[in-house]
Amino acid sequence: MNTFDLLMLGFSEAMTPANLGFCLIGALLGTLIGVLPGIGPTATIAVLLPITFFLPPLAGIIMLAGIYYGAQYGGSTTAILVNLPGEASAVVTTLDGYQMAQQGRAGAALAVAALGSFFAGTVATFGIAIAGPMLSSFALDFGPAEYVSLMLFGLLAATILASGPVLKAIGMILIGLLFGMVGTDQATGAERLTFGSIDLFDGIEFTVIAIGLFGFTEIITNLERSGSEGVKVAPLTRLWPTREDFRRAWPAVLRGTGIGTFLGILPGGGATLASFSSYSLEKKVSKNPRAFGHGAVEGVAAPEAANNAAAQSSFIPLLTLGIPSNNMMAMMLSAFMIHGITPGPTVLTNQPEIFWGLVASMWIGNLLLVVINLPLIGLWVRLLTVPYRLLYPAILLFCCVGIYSINNRIFDVLLAAGFGLLGYIFRKAKCEPGPLLLGFVLGPLLEANLRRALLISQGDASVFIERPISLTMLIATVVLLALMILPSFRKKREEAFQEEEA
Amino acid sequence: MSGPGASKKGDLPDLLTAAIFIGFGALGLWLSRNLDGGTLSQMGAGYLPRAVSIILIVLGAAIGLKATRSASQPIEGLKLRPLLIITLSVIGFAYLAEHAGFVLASFWLVVAGTLADPGSRLRTTLLLAAGLTAFGALVFVKGLGVQIDLWPF
Amino acid sequence: MKHLKTLSLAAALTASAAGMAHADWPTDRPIELIVAFAPGGGTDVMLRTLAPYLEAELDAQFPVLNRPGAAGEITYTALAQARPDGYTVSSLNTPGFLTMQIERKLRFEPSEICPIARIVEDPGLFVVPANSEFKSLTDLVAYAKEHPGAVSIGTTGVGTDEHLAMLQLERSAGVDLTAVPFTGSNDAKTALLGGHISAIGLNAGEYATADHNSMRAIGQFSEERSILAKDLPTAKEQGYDVIISSERGLAARCEVPEEIRARLADAVDKALANPEFQAQAAKQSVPLSFQSGADWQAAMPARLERYRSIFALMKEGQ
Repeated sequence: MNTFDLLMLGFSEAMTPANLGFCLIGALLGTLIGVLPGIGPTATIAVLLPITFFLPPLAGIIMLAGIYYGAQYGGSTTAILVNLPGEASAVVTTLDGYQMAQQGRAGAALAVAALGSFFAGTVATFGIAIAGPMLSSFALDFGPAEYVSLMLFGLLAATILASGPVLKAIGMILIGLLFGMVGTDQATGAERLTFGSIDLFDGIEFTVIAIGLFGFTEIITNLERSGSEGVKVAPLTRLWPTREDFRRAWPAVLRGTGIGTFLGILPGGGATLASFSSYSLEKKVSKNPRAFGHGAVEGVAAPEAANNAAAQSSFIPLLTLGIPSNNMMAMMLSAFMIHGITPGPTVLTNQPEIFWGLVASMWIGNLLLVVINLPLIGLWVRLLTVPYRLLYPAILLFCCVGIYSINNRIFDVLLAAGFGLLGYIFRKAKCEPGPLLLGFVLGPLLEANLRRALLISQGDASVFIERPISLTMLIATVVLLALMILPSFRKKREEAFQEEEA
Repeated sequence: MSGPGASKKGDLPDLLTAAIFIGFGALGLWLSRNLDGGTLSQMGAGYLPRAVSIILIVLGAAIGLKATRSASQPIEGLKLRPLLIITLSVIGFAYLAEHAGFVLASFWLVVAGTLADPGSRLRTTLLLAAGLTAFGALVFVKGLGVQIDLWPF
Repeated sequence: MKHLKTLSLAAALTASAAGMAHADWPTDRPIELIVAFAPGGGTDVMLRTLAPYLEAELDAQFPVLNRPGAAGEITYTALAQARPDGYTVSSLNTPGFLTMQIERKLRFEPSEICPIARIVEDPGLFVVPANSEFKSLTDLVAYAKEHPGAVSIGTTGVGTDEHLAMLQLERSAGVDLTAVPFTGSNDAKTALLGGHISAIGLNAGEYATADHNSMRAIGQFSEERSILAKDLPTAKEQGYDVIISSERGLAARCEVPEEIRARLADAVDKALANPEFQAQAAKQSVPLSFQSGADWQAAMPARLERYRSIFALMKEGQ
């Protein structure tokens, strides 16, 4: 059977009324938990896992997958409306999405996010169908040395994220690195920076930092202006994006999709890195980089496309190699195993209806999500007209419950309150928290892989330039660094010339 | 450079930044004082924390030095009321959720949290607290299975 | 009415505090089952599958609570602080429960926690890529003898099953291997398939669900061959003294009345004998192996001593 026949087989499996129904349930449930800050798909899927026992294998897996990418859609909604990133990959969406909402363009931001995600999801799904096995061999080529080079590149890209001075951005990345080191050191088993507390033994949860620094801090500074009366969102000018918005968004969506599809395959920080680097790329190629951070539509379109593409392509290692690339995929693996199915090349040949049915259902799910989400935009936008004095206690409560639900630990809630306080101080010092979060996510990956690479090479540092992929990325890092330094040189020279002429 | 009568120097937000960076750097150094450092090829647990802390301190010092020489800039509107009330209401929620269950904790969070807003009215607050608590109990605890007791008993 | 409720509540509290509720156990309240790992992990899925069968055996409710963190210490601490009335039980995993007693200062007293029953015994094994030249542990050892440090073994951290297995092999065969820590066994598998490391340690259960066309096991570390890998020689058969297996079961506070613990153990035994449960466990490749709490506990000191000596050797080597 060729790919087309297999895809048709997949669609015929995914289109049965029952499977369509489970896909819809999953997508709806995913949107719901995505919108609720802090409540992640992992906990929900864990609760639902035993239920899938009683469903046919494909139906159960389709539903769980729906929850996963549904949550990606829903997560951007809170990021845009109330500056609350539900997960690492939505942090970048807050930068311009929330600004757009403040300017009365929430509808446009949500629509661009939904359409961009749909486009990216479609491309990535067909990417899985056509090039899945090839892409997975690319993921396998990524050893510790390659990761080190990629992380260095990512951290450098993080400095572009902030609109303020570069020195502050670097400092925030470093603080993020320190936070990332809290917990048990993987290589030696030593406890680091934990104050001897057992609650910090496993390190700090991403959501705790994100909700503290973004959610709580936002509420405090909003109220500070003059109580809830002072919080006025600009009146809604227009529900849908303008023609100009579309014109500027589509190239960004294309680039975001490309970056997301590739980086999503990589285990660990793939999806996060994808959304961060696509944002940095847009800011670099834009003719008007100053608009970023102040409601640039590209700043929503690119990372949203990237993180949805990455969400889809993160299925590739699981489906083609049987290896989950993140916690969510590990949960999906459990779902397969409950039914005695071991994902991998054997499933591709022996049970093609499972693989292709899932791939087809992902596309259908993305379509359903757009159909669900576009009409919902009107409703979400109306949420902004709810007086802030009624809205913020609700946000507060959702955040607290969400944080608690990650580990069922009260300590995490207290820690988030502390990060709220810290975020407030950052605001007063005019330091942007975005780079801190990227440092926090990428730092541990950088350290672990640096050590692995040197352990494997027995201390020989030349591995980083001997391996082609690693070398390419190091060169890219140097080029990026040059690009960052050169414009300021040029500007200074131009200024000097102008002074001479004057 | 500045003539007599010119405004004071010192970019306060940047000075605060310097204090934060140096503070975290110092804290990092202190906390990693007992960790094994190792060498670049055989990194111990303390190698990177110390390296990062030192860079952070240097960076903080550089920003601070520059800030003392640049034009004066104030720190914008400090108001302690929202900061303290929001923080305390979250801490109270944490305590109550553990010892008294979700219903009381959620009620406290909403009621205490609205005090941060000078314009809040008791009636609306109570209604809001009741509504949100009911919603939370139904959706989070019953619906999504968040593992938390509803009542203290 | 309200008075009455408060009164009866107070009465119930006093009664349970005095251990009087004993007679009603286990029907008057749900029995909390604390799992030391995040939802969706092997231990969690296994216990969530088991819970309904325990409920049927005891005619009680078994809600599953997850208290992940610190390799189980958070859960064991919570268990040690629970009222000893038989309404709180937890998961218990070795070697984690034992190795944490060696180096760490614990927040609970390990002797206060008594195993109820062992449910699973899952031996460790070493796995190489399918195209590797190592067909057995002997091949791997021979190569390592000629190239000290060049054979890299993926583990999931210091003091984990895989790491302990590697240290035992080093000691028994007199070779020098390089441990490369990964965040989880899935990361290690990816690095193995990419050819970045020579071998990884896995549990037999994990290996049974992995893709056998791309990787191959070269030796298992149990006393006798596991039911999941009947054709795979043990390390002992290949001439190396390496024994490690991951055991999972249930535990309660030792102060819980003997009678209640015995009934719990009995319920676990019966649930494990249920063919329906066995079928579900087989689908998940869970190697069931019931052992009574007393037997399990009796076997622990010797193992702890063994791990202690391995740790001591590791310290010397540093």
